[in-house]
Amino acid sequence: MNKTSIAASVVGLALASMAGSALAAPDWSKAQTREVTVFHPGTSGLEWIMKGTSHGGAVGMSKGETCIGCHEHKKTLKIDIDTDKILNAVKLEPKPLSNHVGSIPVTVQAANDGTHLYLRFSWKEPKGGAEKMDKDNPVKLAVMLDDSKVVAKDSKGRDMKIGTVGGCWGACHTDARTMPGADDKKTKYVKGGTLANGQYYDLIQWKSGKGAKPVDGYVADKRVMEGGKALVSAEGKKDGDTWTVTFTRKLTGGEGDIALVSGKTYNMGFAIHNDHSVGRFHLVSFGYSLGIDAKADITAAKQ
Amino acid sequence: MAAKQGWWAKLRSPSIKFSLLTLLGGGFIAGILFWGGFNTAMEATNTLPFCISCHEMRDTVYQEYKQTTHYSNPSGVRAECSDCHVPKDWGPKMIRKVQASKELYGKVMGTIDTPEKFEAKRLTLARREWARMKASDSRECRNCHTLDGMDLDNQKSRAAKQHENAKAENMTCIDCHKGIAHQKPEGMTEEEAGG
Repeated sequence: MNKTSIAASVVGLALASMAGSALAAPDWSKAQTREVTVFHPGTSGLEWIMKGTSHGGAVGMSKGETCIGCHEHKKTLKIDIDTDKILNAVKLEPKPLSNHVGSIPVTVQAANDGTHLYLRFSWKEPKGGAEKMDKDNPVKLAVMLDDSKVVAKDSKGRDMKIGTVGGCWGACHTDARTMPGADDKKTKYVKGGTLANGQYYDLIQWKSGKGAKPVDGYVADKRVMEGGKALVSAEGKKDGDTWTVTFTRKLTGGEGDIALVSGKTYNMGFAIHNDHSVGRFHLVSFGYSLGIDAKADITAAKQ
Repeated sequence: MAAKQGWWAKLRSPSIKFSLLTLLGGGFIAGILFWGGFNTAMEATNTLPFCISCHEMRDTVYQEYKQTTHYSNPSGVRAECSDCHVPKDWGPKMIRKVQASKELYGKVMGTIDTPEKFEAKRLTLARREWARMKASDSRECRNCHTLDGMDLDNQKSRAAKQHENAKAENMTCIDCHKGIAHQKPEGMTEEEAGG
């Protein structure tokens, strides 16, 4: 063998091994887009949601109706929520919120490559100017996943799969921090949730602050912001006034990481902490189904 | 048998002057006048100004109703007190009017003549109306509204979904639309809230 062919084969081998271990970003132009509108939820914790006397949809939820079943138009995907009433403190908000937006339309895409799940969120940043609650992070985006296990009791005491019906609302309570009159140290929690009984949300978060590290944790009987082994990276960039945030997450992780299997669907919700906000002042999504190579509201097809 | 020649005796004796036709015609016209008069007087008690002539109504439920869509809405179609609280058909209407005479007693006794007394009785009064409406399959609502006549595509998502369900489960308007024209009372049960 002459020197050129040896050199060529060495280079070829090196390139091949690099390609094998490197993560190829998905071709996002091939991934389905889903428009999802996130909105200001005010003080609508689970306790308010589950009472028929406050929330007319509670009866439907007990029968398995999802939030988007009533609140999202099937064709236009526009959401039906009185955000004006919330921001003007007519309903579900103790004081009027100036410089807060009622909703933001977000483009959501998902993909998988057999080993990783990729989630991509893109939105135009709205005008801000509200009081800076989180000085370090202008924007944060968090995603919560549920394996159709998180459960809440309806007004008749019956169990209802709140993760399937309402996404993140199983962890949102009227006595959690930043709710009126709440203990400042009480985090999101799932009532009766433990890692052992599977009733928990897998949580991943990207923060925009300088040097901020992405978070991989979970919410069981309280929120734990670390310990997850599935999240590989969370990157965000701003192009003009458009943010794009991409999560790369191994399909399986460790404790507190929901194992994602091809062919199955899971429940997903996400929230954007726009304009330096914290706690309940995020703009949230309803619950959507996430399918790994399976038809769902948001499908992560294999690329 | 000494019959007194008073007015009663005169009424009971046969007419000397007038023919049967005159009497029947006169009676017919008098009947129309009487019926018209009775009806006019009764309908006068169904008007909004009459209802709010009592401060018990004017200062409470009337003020609440003015904030709602039955008072002011894009099409300018207004439902007044009697449209919802008094049946339109004669039979049920008469029954209701007789029942309502109890309100005169309440007015005299002052059972709800202060804001505090009213609030204390709000749930009881509301439940009475909800029961009446439930028993008649929301008859007064159906004077104007029908589920079949609803253009669901032009309703908000939540409304369209709830009305679809209502149709499928044979529900009646008042099952969900409690508080449509007046404040919902404190102490409602979950059953009352969602049918």
